[in-house]
Amino acid sequence: MATAPTPAYAVCVFAVRRGHGPALPPDLAGHEGGGPLRLVPAGALWAVVQDVPVHDYSEAALRERLSDPATLERCVRDHHAVVTAFAARGGAIPLPLATLYHSEERSRAALVANGPCFESTLDRITGRYEWAVKVNLLAPRAQSPQSPQKSSAQDDETPSPSGRAYLARLRERGQERDDRRQRALDAAELLDRAVLSVADATVRRRPHSAEIVGRGRTQIMNAAYLVAEQRGVELLALLDRLRAAPEFEGCEVEATGPWVPYSFVDAASPTEETAPSHAQRQGGGRPNGQGRPDGQGRPDVVGSRA
Amino acid sequence: MDDLDTWRSSPPASDLSRPPDGSLADILERVLDKGIVIAGDIKIDLLDIELLTIRLRLFIASVDTARKAGIDWWETDPALSSSAARDDLREENRRLRAQLEELTPADDRPPRPNG
Repeated sequence: MATAPTPAYAVCVFAVRRGHGPALPPDLAGHEGGGPLRLVPAGALWAVVQDVPVHDYSEAALRERLSDPATLERCVRDHHAVVTAFAARGGAIPLPLATLYHSEERSRAALVANGPCFESTLDRITGRYEWAVKVNLLAPRAQSPQSPQKSSAQDDETPSPSGRAYLARLRERGQERDDRRQRALDAAELLDRAVLSVADATVRRRPHSAEIVGRGRTQIMNAAYLVAEQRGVELLALLDRLRAAPEFEGCEVEATGPWVPYSFVDAASPTEETAPSHAQRQGGGRPNGQGRPDGQGRPDVVGSRA
Repeated sequence: MDDLDTWRSSPPASDLSRPPDGSLADILERVLDKGIVIAGDIKIDLLDIELLTIRLRLFIASVDTARKAGIDWWETDPALSSSAARDDLREENRRLRAQLEELTPADDRPPRPNG
């Protein structure tokens, strides 16, 4: 039920889709302090919107509120819940957090003006979901000070090793680390090629930093794949097979999904293709690229440590 | 055009009916991504808030799951930064001093009592 917003309210648009779709879950509240969520038609599309108090959503107020981690998390989670529910039975395009208009008419006009862009994006993502796939390299089990592989310069029986032997051991360990990392990178590339046989497109994201993945892990690859709804099971089975392969020894393969295709709705998203070599591959396919052909920054929320 | 008819019947009930069990980092990096940007009346460019992204990073580190901040073991192999390594160096130092003492000519050493 559309109530005309009073001047004390702004209209927040969460997402657009084709068709009215099923009713939203009654317990879905949207942003805190806002009015009830409602579906509004905009040309051939429908949007889910909410009136929000303008004093909390002015530019200055948003800057302040979103700089508070707890408020930011709440806003992000509320936004995500609405987008996800709205997309429940078809493709929906999430709009950026806090896309705000002074009135419902203004929001409608903006949506209609962008109609063609929405339509072509919906063609690309309808019936498909995003899956997040990450490859983490696990630290080897803590070794005893005597490395199992003895270097020529090192005799572990010697109670007090010479400086040269110590340096040799350092070098050896560095070499082992590099080898492990290279094997994990190779495994990640193998996984990427395999998953692209199931997926329509991929985006590489910045690997999560040590603070996020936790002690004893290094994220080698953080990728998103666009996968047809009916092939999700196939994807999971494929990942299970890969986990069991010898190439993935010492690696952890994480998958979460299905997500609304957040990573595939911008104009820079790759068009559907299964070839593993396209513009998304930066730096010769090394999985530490920005994951964006246009280099436009995404928020560096998961960047490496400063 | 309504696409409900073309939508496959009976999708799995769990599909997208609730947010997936991604970590907070997963949700943040998706929601705060640009996506399709259409001009709003009230401008808030999240990417312009440098402070925000810095805080976010700290925030994810402090909030996301029970995992504690880890050490990037590429840079600091625990085996090498452990006290064992320090002990090695200390031992090395002790032995070098002993060797130095052996190599130093006797008349350069401090005189010993009743020598």
